[in-house]
Amino acid sequence: MNTITLQKTLPEVFVGKDHIDSDIWHKDVEFEKGHFYLIEAASGTGKSSLCSYLYGYRDDYQGIIGFDGNNIRNLSVNDWVNIRKRSLSMLFQDLRLFTELSAMENVLLKNSLTGFKKKKDIKDLFFELGIGDKMNVPVGKMSFGQQQRVALIRALCQPFDFLFLDEPISHLDDVNARNMARILTEEAMKQGAGVIATSIGKPLELDYTKKLLL
Amino acid sequence: MNLVWKLMRRHISLGQLAGFFVANLCGMVIVLLGIQFYQDVSPVFTEGDSFMKKDYIVVTKKVSTLGSFVGKSTTFSEADIDDLRDQPFTKAVGEFTPSAFKVSAGVGMEQLGLNLSTAMFFESVPDEYVDVNLKDWHFEPGQTEVPIIIPRNYLNLYNFGFAKSRGLPQISEGVINMVDLEVRISGGGRQDNYQGKIAGFSNRLNTILVPQSFMAWANVHYGQGGVRKEPSRLIVEVSNPADDRIAQFFRERGYETEDDKLDAGKTTWFLKVVVGIVMGVGLLISVLSFYILMLSIYLLLQKNSTKLENLLLIGYAPARVALPYQVLTIGLNTLVLVLSVGMVLWVRTIYLDVVEKMFPTLEGGSSMWLMLVAGVLLTIAVSALNVWAVRRKVLYIWKRKG
Repeated sequence: MNTITLQKTLPEVFVGKDHIDSDIWHKDVEFEKGHFYLIEAASGTGKSSLCSYLYGYRDDYQGIIGFDGNNIRNLSVNDWVNIRKRSLSMLFQDLRLFTELSAMENVLLKNSLTGFKKKKDIKDLFFELGIGDKMNVPVGKMSFGQQQRVALIRALCQPFDFLFLDEPISHLDDVNARNMARILTEEAMKQGAGVIATSIGKPLELDYTKKLLL
Repeated sequence: MNLVWKLMRRHISLGQLAGFFVANLCGMVIVLLGIQFYQDVSPVFTEGDSFMKKDYIVVTKKVSTLGSFVGKSTTFSEADIDDLRDQPFTKAVGEFTPSAFKVSAGVGMEQLGLNLSTAMFFESVPDEYVDVNLKDWHFEPGQTEVPIIIPRNYLNLYNFGFAKSRGLPQISEGVINMVDLEVRISGGGRQDNYQGKIAGFSNRLNTILVPQSFMAWANVHYGQGGVRKEPSRLIVEVSNPADDRIAQFFRERGYETEDDKLDAGKTTWFLKVVVGIVMGVGLLISVLSFYILMLSIYLLLQKNSTKLENLLLIGYAPARVALPYQVLTIGLNTLVLVLSVGMVLWVRTIYLDVVEKMFPTLEGGSSMWLMLVAGVLLTIAVSALNVWAVRRKVLYIWKRKG
């Protein structure tokens, strides 16, 4: 997948609003592989909605969203399963980790599906992100900041053309945020992938091609 | 798969699954036992008449004192037969052909010093009413062997009356099949000896049957003048022996039936009804237990719906997410099938013991295929529904799209 295009896309809940001041909603926008985008938003402007549309688990929008020019409304269940395994990766705002599984198990759950990373590489990532001692701790017993890092490692355990990061560093200190930015950049460059990050305040420090206001 | 299962098995309620298991087991055992019991026991009611079609009635006219004096005919005219043939309950009507010659038969067992001889008669019915292997039930002129079917009562008379009182050995059916009857036929100025071969016993037919081909030939050969005698008995094949109209029709015409035949028909009919009801109850229990399982699985899916959703979002296919529950239900259903068949076999040994004691002549143990096939089909049907329902539920979670 090389491009993601939004044509006059608008969440249905916004239909009928008099004035929408946004670089994305109701505009024509294109995200290209290999570029980093930052979407800055105030809360309630539809940031998570955008992520859910792009990731295919909600479709309550108007307009057209296309992957390489193909309308994503025409994608089958199987298409989406393959896209989520091979083309798109997402770091959810609410993380969507399994609290009763350990941090490592959460990551392996994804990696066993894709077989993308070696267990040693995964362990290295845990250490690099400062949670090397938490691998076997149930995620439910970790802080949100630690969980964010587990979710990031999981998001990296697959091949992707685009990586969505929905408020990835909301609970991270600056050191960890920079660590995360570095690892992300390395991984994205290696895969030649695009990154689309959202932020409502402190943004993840990446070398953004474009910043958009939602 | 292990991690997925680790996630999915959360909230599995052992109580609910046990409830399903027991209920489904009950339902399945009842259904399968019903089938097997019917298979095993229904021969009791049709016993010994395997060579006769099941749903038939033998009809005679009433012999009354007055009728005998005034010479009222007890035979059936062409009109009578046509009338009977036109009745809605009739499938076919066959005539008993009486013999137009004299018969006497004897059993000679010289080593026992036994020599029995009696005057008797023959009758025949069209071959399609007799289900003995046609090779045995056949006669050609010149042949000295004549196959015969006799009432089982005759054997009982001998075994339990005559032989007992005279201190003679009792004879089993197997042995008597090997004994030759000496049949002497006379008439039309001729007299010949034949060997009677007993081809079968009948509980339901009080006559001595010979093949139609023999009767036709002998009636001409030994008969007087070849006048066609009207039949005094008819054999009527009916669609349902328990039909009220049959009894009513016979009453109106003053015909008599040999009641036990109707009774046997009724008994098998009631057996069918009772087994049908029992199996219906069993099926109902099965359906309800299936419902319990579905509710339980739905509840489980509901409780785990967030996890299911998350698995779907990180790239698991709906089929893969549904698999653990599908395997669970198929496993349970298969276990239920195996246990049910085991229980049916066990219960069967108990009732077969009783049945064999009550009806020693019964060939014990009919086929179990029907029961097994029914069990497997039921399991497949229930499992297929389970698999489909789980899949549907998971797709529903997918489509709700967060």
